[in-house]
Amino acid sequence: MPAFQILKEKLHEGMVFLTVRGFLDAHTFEELEKTINDIFEAGTYKLAVDLSGLDYISSAGAGVFIGAIGTAQENDGNIVLMKPSPNVKEVFDLLGLSQIFTFKDTREEAVKALK
Amino acid sequence: MGETLKDRLVVSNDTKHLIVVREFVSRLIRQSRLGPQEENKVILAVDEAVTNIIEHGYDEGAEGSIEIEVEAGEQQFKIMIRDTGRVFNPESIPDPDMKEHVQRGHKKGLGIFLMRQIMDEVRYKFRDGVKNELTLVKYIR
Repeated sequence: MPAFQILKEKLHEGMVFLTVRGFLDAHTFEELEKTINDIFEAGTYKLAVDLSGLDYISSAGAGVFIGAIGTAQENDGNIVLMKPSPNVKEVFDLLGLSQIFTFKDTREEAVKALK
Repeated sequence: MGETLKDRLVVSNDTKHLIVVREFVSRLIRQSRLGPQEENKVILAVDEAVTNIIEHGYDEGAEGSIEIEVEAGEQQFKIMIRDTGRVFNPESIPDPDMKEHVQRGHKKGLGIFLMRQIMDEVRYKFRDGVKNELTLVKYIR
């Protein structure tokens, strides 16, 4: 299995659904940053990101979401995070990001939050 | 008195080695008396320390090595991280205001904050112009 993997799926109503798996650290964060920047450049600012397959995140990985959420919100969009594992959620909690990001458990709830 | 667990790992200054560093720390935590609830956090603190050295300790393209030494006993789990890069004192970095960080889209500078949040001691020593040494300690309660 690769150390890090991103799957991108376009949803209707100008939303993109991303699934990230593996380890999101200082070695892999640029790949996610580029994917999100490409989505923004294509004019989509509503993102749902499934974190259920993410085994590990460091501040470099969390930094991608910190860097992107402002741009998304300025363009009438948002980033909704889904189903982080306890280890990944713990890092968002430690960084004080759990109040800043919206977390949802299902794709339906994420889509609803992004509308 | 229980035995002291000791081991060390040396990696070059490349982020591709972070996975090896995390596996090394994970293995030692599991052999130590530190509880499993601390495993992810202590691994993260070491990852952040090593990432900072890789990103800030050396000029781009310059090769360097980073030594990670673990000593764990009855009372504490201690990690010493040594490098020969630029002098960097984490005590000089203030804690971030996260709302401002998010508003401004700042992505960096969070590693030291995490180290301080997670570890009971974060100490820095610059030794005789030879090595930087960062010591991270987690008490075993």
